[in-house]
Amino acid sequence: MSRRFTRKGSVIRCTLSEPERELLRELPDQLRSLYASDDPDDAVTARLFPRAYLDPTEEAAEQEWIALVRPELLRSKLAALKLVVAALESASPNRRGQLVVNLGDDDVAAFLGVLNDARLALGTTIGVTDDLDLSELDPSDPESAAYAAYGWLTYLEGELVETLLGTMPG
Amino acid sequence: MTGAPMTAPVEAPVELPLAEGDPATEDFDVTDRPWIVIVWNDPVNLMSYVVFVLQKLFGHSREKATHLMLQVHHDGKAAVAEGTRAKAEADVARLHGHGLWATLEHPA
Repeated sequence: MSRRFTRKGSVIRCTLSEPERELLRELPDQLRSLYASDDPDDAVTARLFPRAYLDPTEEAAEQEWIALVRPELLRSKLAALKLVVAALESASPNRRGQLVVNLGDDDVAAFLGVLNDARLALGTTIGVTDDLDLSELDPSDPESAAYAAYGWLTYLEGELVETLLGTMPG
Repeated sequence: MTGAPMTAPVEAPVELPLAEGDPATEDFDVTDRPWIVIVWNDPVNLMSYVVFVLQKLFGHSREKATHLMLQVHHDGKAAVAEGTRAKAEADVARLHGHGLWATLEHPA
């Protein structure tokens, strides 16, 4: 299949196979349950909602900041999930049997946020490092499926970012 | 960060990169030390994505955003903005909203 994200005038056209749509369709539900966690000791929660202050003497400021920012951050993440679900469900088949949906600016931002949060969550869970080489996956490794999913999400996000960078000043 | 290195030219390291076009905040007392916003390296965020976010949030050129991204990648962190505590907190919130690992601090 050719590119999943292509620029079409003022929108970005997303073209997926049915299995790809189904895989992406699972992300919002998974992320919604991760967003619902309020355990600050959970590594995924800590990565999706990092501290603003590293300095432990600023704990009062940290708590104030969380109270101020976290609800809005959560609202915006949940809104993005809805936009992605709506876009995926409105995708319609083209003559070649691929599913196509045109994404406006808000949809694009939502897709990017969902892809990135899914990678942050999955990458944190499987312990991705800077040295990750997805070409050396071992199928007998029980985590190989998670790495493959991570690699696929990375590919998709990379293509979307490349398309977006093409719309920005060099 | 992950992904193929960007090929944009890299300028000499800047001591404390500031957000371009960011007017001095009105409520900022010049006798006070500014708070700085740090972006930390992480193994998940794509290098291209970090460039995109820095361009989008701070209005940087591709070259400046790429320079900051490479500083994060090679040095483990980079100062991407500074100002009052309130402004730095707001910048950190926007960076977290885009999945970057950012903190604010008040250097001695």
